[in-house]
Amino acid sequence: MPTTTTTAATTGSNILHRLTSADRDVKLKALRELKNQIIGNRTKKLSFLKLGAVPTVASILSDAVSTDAVVDNNNDNINKNIIVQSAAVLGSFACGFEAGVKAVLDAGAFPKLSRLLSYHDEKVVDAGARSLKMIYQSKLAPKYDFLLEKNMEFLLSLLNNENENVSGLGASIISHSCKTSVEQKLLSDAGVLRKLTSLLGGSLSQRDASLESLATIFKSNPEVVVKFVGNESERALSCIIDLVKDRFARTRLLASLCLIIVRNTSPCYLQDLAIKTKLINTLLELLGDPGQVGDEASFAFSSLIAQKEDMQKLAFEVNAIDKLYNHLKGGSLHPLRFEGILLALADMCSKLECCRSRFLSLQVLNLVIDALAHDSSDVRIAACICLRSVSRSIKNLSAGSFMNETVVIPLVRLLDDSSTSVQVSALGAISNIVVDFTTRRSLFIRCGGVKQLVQLSKSMDSTIRSNALWALRNLMFLAENKCKEGIFLELTASLLASLICDPEPIVQEQALALVRNLVDGCISSVEYMFAEDGIIFDAVGRQLRSASKAEIGIQGMYVLSNVATGKESHKEAVMNQLLPTENRTQPYLINFLQSNDSRLRTATVWAVVNLTCSSSPGASVRVVKLRDAGIVSQIKNMVNDPCLDVKLRVRTALGQLMTFEDSST
Amino acid sequence: MPVRVVESSAPSQVSGANSGQTSPSICTLLSVGQAFSGTQNVSNLQKEEAWRVNVRIQGCDLEHGYLCGTMEALNVPMADTPVVTFWEGEIVDTKNYTFYTGKWEATPENDIKHWTKFPSFSPLLNQVEVDGGKSLDLSNYPYIFMRWKEQYFVNVGTDCGLTIAGFYYVCFSCSDGSINGFYYDPNSSPFQKLELKCTNEERSGFSFSSYELQ
Repeated sequence: MPTTTTTAATTGSNILHRLTSADRDVKLKALRELKNQIIGNRTKKLSFLKLGAVPTVASILSDAVSTDAVVDNNNDNINKNIIVQSAAVLGSFACGFEAGVKAVLDAGAFPKLSRLLSYHDEKVVDAGARSLKMIYQSKLAPKYDFLLEKNMEFLLSLLNNENENVSGLGASIISHSCKTSVEQKLLSDAGVLRKLTSLLGGSLSQRDASLESLATIFKSNPEVVVKFVGNESERALSCIIDLVKDRFARTRLLASLCLIIVRNTSPCYLQDLAIKTKLINTLLELLGDPGQVGDEASFAFSSLIAQKEDMQKLAFEVNAIDKLYNHLKGGSLHPLRFEGILLALADMCSKLECCRSRFLSLQVLNLVIDALAHDSSDVRIAACICLRSVSRSIKNLSAGSFMNETVVIPLVRLLDDSSTSVQVSALGAISNIVVDFTTRRSLFIRCGGVKQLVQLSKSMDSTIRSNALWALRNLMFLAENKCKEGIFLELTASLLASLICDPEPIVQEQALALVRNLVDGCISSVEYMFAEDGIIFDAVGRQLRSASKAEIGIQGMYVLSNVATGKESHKEAVMNQLLPTENRTQPYLINFLQSNDSRLRTATVWAVVNLTCSSSPGASVRVVKLRDAGIVSQIKNMVNDPCLDVKLRVRTALGQLMTFEDSST
Repeated sequence: MPVRVVESSAPSQVSGANSGQTSPSICTLLSVGQAFSGTQNVSNLQKEEAWRVNVRIQGCDLEHGYLCGTMEALNVPMADTPVVTFWEGEIVDTKNYTFYTGKWEATPENDIKHWTKFPSFSPLLNQVEVDGGKSLDLSNYPYIFMRWKEQYFVNVGTDCGLTIAGFYYVCFSCSDGSINGFYYDPNSSPFQKLELKCTNEERSGFSFSSYELQ
């Protein structure tokens, strides 16, 4: 029998009842009681929220503010206390509780709380500022418009206020509302940076709020960072650097984040080895914090090292992989922390082989594989990203380290995941793992991988389609005949043809790259192009004629180039595709040879080289056709191509072309 | 390609070898998937001997001057099957690597002695003697110099009686895809020559496949 709940509900109703009492003392007492009950207690907040406490308190605040305005009675202490307590209750509801923030905003309390800031009474101002600060911690808080002059003045007055909650509110407003570079510059020009810098020397809460705001104003805005670091505030920067060693964990984290943003925005700053190492060590140490700071530390660590090989190397040297692993192997982590550590490991292994080797030698892989089946989709995604990073090791791909059932089965299972993001990240890892040099592709096929990939290549989502094709393309790389046949049967010529002509260029490119690998290897593979009346071949031709970007031309030309290494009939088919007799317009071959992209020029010259191999019987006729179409003279113009590869291929082509020119003259 | 063990020696480890997403090749003939075949002369004072060798490029990461692949030795006398090894290559791009090896028991004198065996190296010799070639711009040079170091046996155990302790000084011709190399291991016969040619694998022309890591 739910006795306690009933009692709680009764107590709740009782408090609510007393809140509406005409006796102000009773009301005030009820407000205090309510405040004490909900502080730090999410369950209580929710139950009072359901009972409708927020609109009631909001209306008490509103009435008390009106009474205060009408009755000029500065000595009405009870009314003042009611204002202070009702503001505190509303702030408590909003603290770390989104539903509470929504209820406070819906009850129209926000303007009333803002009004409290202009009171003379310190306590009232403090209570209003505290509550508004709580609201500004939430994304739901209304955006503050810095572009309005009076708003900027008001913000500066908040920052200049001696009350730490008021200046802290100013900083919170900036962290919440400053989004654009225009706003960042406006704040910087208005002298906000200087003010925030001075707050760094204030109380703990002022320091933290200031660090967060500074980071917001710096983010991706080199102009503002230069102004801060370059000119006036070298001292301020060293103050932030000092705060990385602060005794409070949150301050250390926020100071580190602020410096990371400075570095990431303007890479010329903070290049000192000691600072870089300090940041790495601080964040690795903060991973041990049991609370929110520990959860956030791994994400901060990722933003410090992501895409930066030098930082990854430094982190490797201070045993970051081992330290991250130690946190991981502790087990039963909060999903956010789990995700953060996996992503940090992914960033560590994204570029450096030494990191991947360490990762694999520590058996971290087993924990990552377990994470593929985690309840949280964010953790599953992070595990896939981690696997994707570590499987960039060609050395380990060559050794077949990933092509085994322990890795493949859970990954293939994720292709069925209800979350598209999980599917896309699983495809990312699979794309790497299927690059196989050990003839173990059959394992992937046996696990149902190819069937799934082919299914996903028909997805409505173009990212899924392109990633599924990417995986199939890599799987097809140097695949043995039997494997190719299996994939082709599953894909079918008609599906491949339609994917080559997909509306999305990225899908077209992957489909063409897949076909390029399909027709490479054993000479009989070329026949795949001509299955079902040559629909794939025609699709390639159509796509080349309308290629929207160089990458499509490159993959398409390598398809034709590979086909042109086949029998005479194959070479002739390529010729007809490149120079159709019925078409008198300038062949796209010329455009490709004149492309600014040297890779496209190279691919195109290779096709010409293959079509004019002196050993093939029909070469002389093809040379004549190429000459008539202006291709030979175009190639002659390329003997001094700025790209060495193109230049050398042109020489090979010309060598072959000249053989026939000589014999025809 | 492995050679006979003369004295017991453990394979040395390459440190900090890099890989990553496949980047576009400097030369299409040296791109992933390309195959080469030829011989390695393993003659010594007692006997003239050459082993047939196949090479396949498996990975390429130009940003880090890295190349890797497999090497298959076909008629190794003491092995029942062809012996396949996995090798990693350092491309002498003068940014990641210079002509000076600085490891694997190779002194600058050993380096110069081997590099000068390639005729295409002679125009570079003077500068290499000054700074290992650091100041040379080889991006448009039609030859690519590399060191290939075998890392592990792919299909046989380490107890197969063969060693991969040494490494190859390699010169690749961008024009025709031919590869020349010299095996260096202080414990093996000196200057064992590797000669490979680009193979078309029964095709009338050159075929290219590709993969891309995510």
